[in-house]
Amino acid sequence: MKVLELNNVHKIYNSSEVKVHAVNGISIDFEQGEFTAIVGPSGSGKTTLLNMIGGLDNPTEGQILVDKTNLSTLKSSKLIDFRMKNIGFVFQSYNLIPVLTAKENVEFIMNLQKWPKKERQERTLELLNAVGLGDRINSRPSKLSGGQQQRVAVARALASKPKFILADEPTANLDSKSTETLIEIMETLNKEENITFIFSTHDARVVKRARRVVTIEDGKILTDERIEKR
Amino acid sequence: MVVIVSITIGVFAGVFAVGLMVGTLDQRMDAALNKELAHIHINHKNFNDNYDINLTLENTEAINSQVMKIEGVEALANRIVISAMANTATKSMGIQLIGINPEQEKAILDLNESIIPGTGSYFEKESRSNLAFIGQDLAKELNIIRFKIESSTIDSLKRKKVPEEVLIKLEPYIGKRFASQKAFTNEMKKALTSMESHSYGKIILDESWSFRARSKMTLTFLDKNNVQTGGMFRIAGVYDIKNSMYEKINVFVLSSDLARLAAIGPSDYHQTIIKINDPEKAKEIAALIAENNKDLEVRTWKEISPELAMMVGMLEKFNTVFMVLILAALSFGIVNTMLMVVLERTKELGMLTAIGMNKKKVFSMIMSESIFLSMVGGIVGMIVSALMLKLTSTNGINFESATEGLEAMGFTAHIYPSVPGSFFVTVTILIIITGILSSIYPALKALKLDPAEALRTE
Repeated sequence: MKVLELNNVHKIYNSSEVKVHAVNGISIDFEQGEFTAIVGPSGSGKTTLLNMIGGLDNPTEGQILVDKTNLSTLKSSKLIDFRMKNIGFVFQSYNLIPVLTAKENVEFIMNLQKWPKKERQERTLELLNAVGLGDRINSRPSKLSGGQQQRVAVARALASKPKFILADEPTANLDSKSTETLIEIMETLNKEENITFIFSTHDARVVKRARRVVTIEDGKILTDERIEKR
Repeated sequence: MVVIVSITIGVFAGVFAVGLMVGTLDQRMDAALNKELAHIHINHKNFNDNYDINLTLENTEAINSQVMKIEGVEALANRIVISAMANTATKSMGIQLIGINPEQEKAILDLNESIIPGTGSYFEKESRSNLAFIGQDLAKELNIIRFKIESSTIDSLKRKKVPEEVLIKLEPYIGKRFASQKAFTNEMKKALTSMESHSYGKIILDESWSFRARSKMTLTFLDKNNVQTGGMFRIAGVYDIKNSMYEKINVFVLSSDLARLAAIGPSDYHQTIIKINDPEKAKEIAALIAENNKDLEVRTWKEISPELAMMVGMLEKFNTVFMVLILAALSFGIVNTMLMVVLERTKELGMLTAIGMNKKKVFSMIMSESIFLSMVGGIVGMIVSALMLKLTSTNGINFESATEGLEAMGFTAHIYPSVPGSFFVTVTILIIITGILSSIYPALKALKLDPAEALRTE
């Protein structure tokens, strides 16, 4: 089942006299349950692409359909609401709310969606256990390592049961051991819960674990490789 | 934290300054109503034009009993008021001579409590001579007070922490008398450096004066038949109500002495002063008295002292305006700090918008943060102010260096700050308004953040 469809997507930045074609006519589909790595050198358009997929940026041209909803047609407030319900984000620098505990950070999005307290607490515990942080639920981000913070971020991204999770270089700030743990958790969630992950990365070890690798350069797709058996 | 501290300081400064103003005016009001004016004055309708000695009240007894029947009237006192000259061997001053019955007066004014210790009493001692109760500033003007440094003065200055080097300079003057304050001050200026005179001049002056016991003065005036008359008066006591102007002009004598000297009848009076239970009812009661006595002039304290009435009326509005100005200045600080907060948290705000926090929530988050900070700052400021007011209202604050200027205007230099409870309510409302108004702009700024761009910021 297609969860995401990009049709001839372009993104052009016009800064004074320089015109930058960051994404240049990308068309691609993503199926439910895929574990996709988007790779490419710096400036190839990975982040711009992910931002547009996540509805944080609008394409200059083309369509992005999430579950058949064209993101460009949504008004700002509807788009925010759509993002909250359908898309999970994991950022390179974790971006947890520093004054909230791990549990509160995960609960935050469910609070915004006004989940009943009991369900909220159960899901938070379930997710933090799934990322191996069941014993750190009351720790603030400052008391957690980078890897642990990123695991909380993954749990937060999963909180509202999104259609897919976008992760922009999720392991860029992590050491090899933390990278390994995070990827393992993401893989497990993908395999066991059929959660769709789309992540950009530079890291060869992470690329090796992906089941689909899309390489882009100069805003265009160079290769799109599905690796069935890992 | 910066916002909280700046609001705390601002609110404290505002409330405390208002406390000083209210305290000053309250004391002025208290002094005016309880020491100088009373609440209502009754005169012959033309008496105040030129203080004609013949314009006495007709049938004082009847007026007295009629006034005492009015609800709210607590006490009244009858007075003889004559313009006179006060003379001592060295000086003459124009004064207003007020003939009183001390017992009646005590029920209305507490001037008897303002007597300077050691200067006598408020007509309490029987005397064969005429007695006069005069103000400290008149006593100084008439050279009834003299200045002399004695060993005991040096000891007492030492206790008041005047430095040794200053005391050494004063020693050569021990035993020397000065007839006037001017002569004494000039001599002190020669002996001390200008810094020393500035710092300790006032305290030395206060410790060095003494009242010439059994001093006398001559009071001269025109009697009922326009014949110059007068008499020798012994100083019964000297009062100090911290109002130079009043002290210089008003001399109190017994009405029986004055009536005899001025050849007016024993029950003839020029003025009746009235004390009522609520100063705000003065107008109502005065109107009632005036209605039944068309040939009398009935004036309330607001009419007798319009500048005081104006100050009271303006104070409340002025206090609010003052706080509004302080908070308006503070609001720029809040706007600036909250803009910094938005700037510092650009990434966090970008993340919150990315994961689904809508604009309404982002807006209300920034708004409530500003309001919360303002409220915390405001409440802390008010607590600090309340504590400071409590602390200073017991012992007061002495603006010693400004004594002369303040007393010349009728204000005391020892101020007991006070703020009415309702003012704290006004301040709370003003702080909430400031918090709301000053958070709108930063909150709007936060709304304009582009999440993709915000997430890129470091």
